Amino acid sequence: MSVKAVRVMESVAAIRRLTSFRPRIGLILGSGLGELADRIDSSVTIPFREIPYFAVSTVPGHKGELVIGQLEGQTVAAMRGRVHYYEGWPMDKVTFPVYVMRELGVEQLILTNAAGGLNPAFSPGDLMLIADHLNLTGDHPLIGANDEPLGPRFPDLSSAYDKQLGLRLKEAAKQLAISLQEGVYAGISGPNYLSKAELRALLRLGADALGMSTVPEAIAANHCGMKVLGLSCITDMANPDLLEPPTHEQVLRVAEAAKPAFLSLLCRYIRSCGED
Amino acid sequence: MMDATETYRKQVQETAHVLQRRLGGFKPQVALILGSGLGAFAEEIEQPIEIPYEALPHFPISTVPGHAGKWVAGTVEGCPVLCMQGRFHYYEGYSMAQVTFPIRVMHELDIGTLIITNASGGIRPTFQPGDLMLIEDHINWMFANPLRGPNVDEWGPRFPDMSQAYDRELLSLAEQVAARCGLSVQRGVYLAVTGPSYETPAEIRAFRKLGADAVGMSTVPEVIVARHQGMRVLGISCIANLASGILDQPLSHEEVVHTSNQAKDRLTALIKGILKELKR
Repeated sequence: MSVKAVRVMESVAAIRRLTSFRPRIGLILGSGLGELADRIDSSVTIPFREIPYFAVSTVPGHKGELVIGQLEGQTVAAMRGRVHYYEGWPMDKVTFPVYVMRELGVEQLILTNAAGGLNPAFSPGDLMLIADHLNLTGDHPLIGANDEPLGPRFPDLSSAYDKQLGLRLKEAAKQLAISLQEGVYAGISGPNYLSKAELRALLRLGADALGMSTVPEAIAANHCGMKVLGLSCITDMANPDLLEPPTHEQVLRVAEAAKPAFLSLLCRYIRSCGED
Repeated sequence: MMDATETYRKQVQETAHVLQRRLGGFKPQVALILGSGLGAFAEEIEQPIEIPYEALPHFPISTVPGHAGKWVAGTVEGCPVLCMQGRFHYYEGYSMAQVTFPIRVMHELDIGTLIITNASGGIRPTFQPGDLMLIEDHINWMFANPLRGPNVDEWGPRFPDMSQAYDRELLSLAEQVAARCGLSVQRGVYLAVTGPSYETPAEIRAFRKLGADAVGMSTVPEVIVARHQGMRVLGISCIANLASGILDQPLSHEEVVHTSNQAKDRLTALIKGILKELKR
């Protein structure tokens, strides 16, 4: 077994000592979106620092804990906070929790984030189903020897974001009369916000939104055979022609205002996962 | 990671301390970085104090022909400047932290303005070798970021804004000075690649679609760090050649240095005019 696979097993063992729940759905909750974890019933909360090999985030708005329990009739494992590549962690550390989720028994991973909107039809506060991504981080979580027990050398990303799960989310949005955008998420390294010339370049490449997370995790989740649902909260418009520089506080504020729709949409979605 | 950041910070302070001691009571107001073939500007400096990079602790040493590798301090048109003759390129194998180390040192010396120059390949079809392009904006196509890692809050914010990385007032000032001196300058977008290979014609076509006017292997990391610390930046690119595929001939470093040499009188006149306006 590879070193990484052994480490994953150790993390899983540490988590299983604390809970007998067998989560089927995993969630990674981005900037300002962690509140969903409060709705998880009979939950066990494990700080990242207590899980072997987990990196601990340093960004405001990111708590850094794994919450496992029942949500809308489903057993879920939710990461409240994540670590980011721009913090200096290698891709390996950024994506490690994804493999732990998989080993815990998670079959579908819900990735959420706060993103800047590029598509002119978007507005701050919109929710966007991620249809596909562009990896513009300049790095890749699978560079290096492949961990065969975890996944294949050359994983397919032709439908990295599962179409059926996407349809289910759209159905949930329809039921709740929540408007849901759909688009391509460009993952950049950060940490600086982009220049106007860079935003124009991303538009020309076909990006609808951009952010500093999600893409590495989506690649890792596909590598280890999980289905992925991606949901972005558009917290500011990265319009190169009328750009007001956003602050991290503003991003958190819009995420706050969009939170009710975000929470009810995901709750309805998760409930519908048990209705097959 | 925090330990490495703290070490880096201490190194910046130590280097700045030694550099300031070598400068004596001299307080530079503007820093300049002289790119490939553009080092001759340092000859304009009156009563120059020269400090080779190897005389400073923690300082990397340049390995490229055309880059001498020393600081030159003194006054130009009455403006106290600190010039870097030779810079560090990512393609040489330096880390982004090393490439941008001098900018941290400049900030430590309380220098508020950076004039950064480079030689680039022209993408915009109307550019001619020897043209001077004022950098209006950049595209970081190096896929590495000097700010990755723990943030030093005393230096700048975690998520710095780049919506106006190149100072508007300095851009207008440069245009006014150029007009007064009868020099033609054009604004454009500089796209940075890692190098060291020159781009393929297909890459240049792609960059053109992305909105780039010129392409080069420097400047962007330094500007990101300068902006992180709130320095005002003016970028001037000397179009040394037309980028790959625009003319049907191969590119060479000798050509870059040759054309830059030809443009150096105009670049010198432009920078001198700007410094005259900037002096307090």
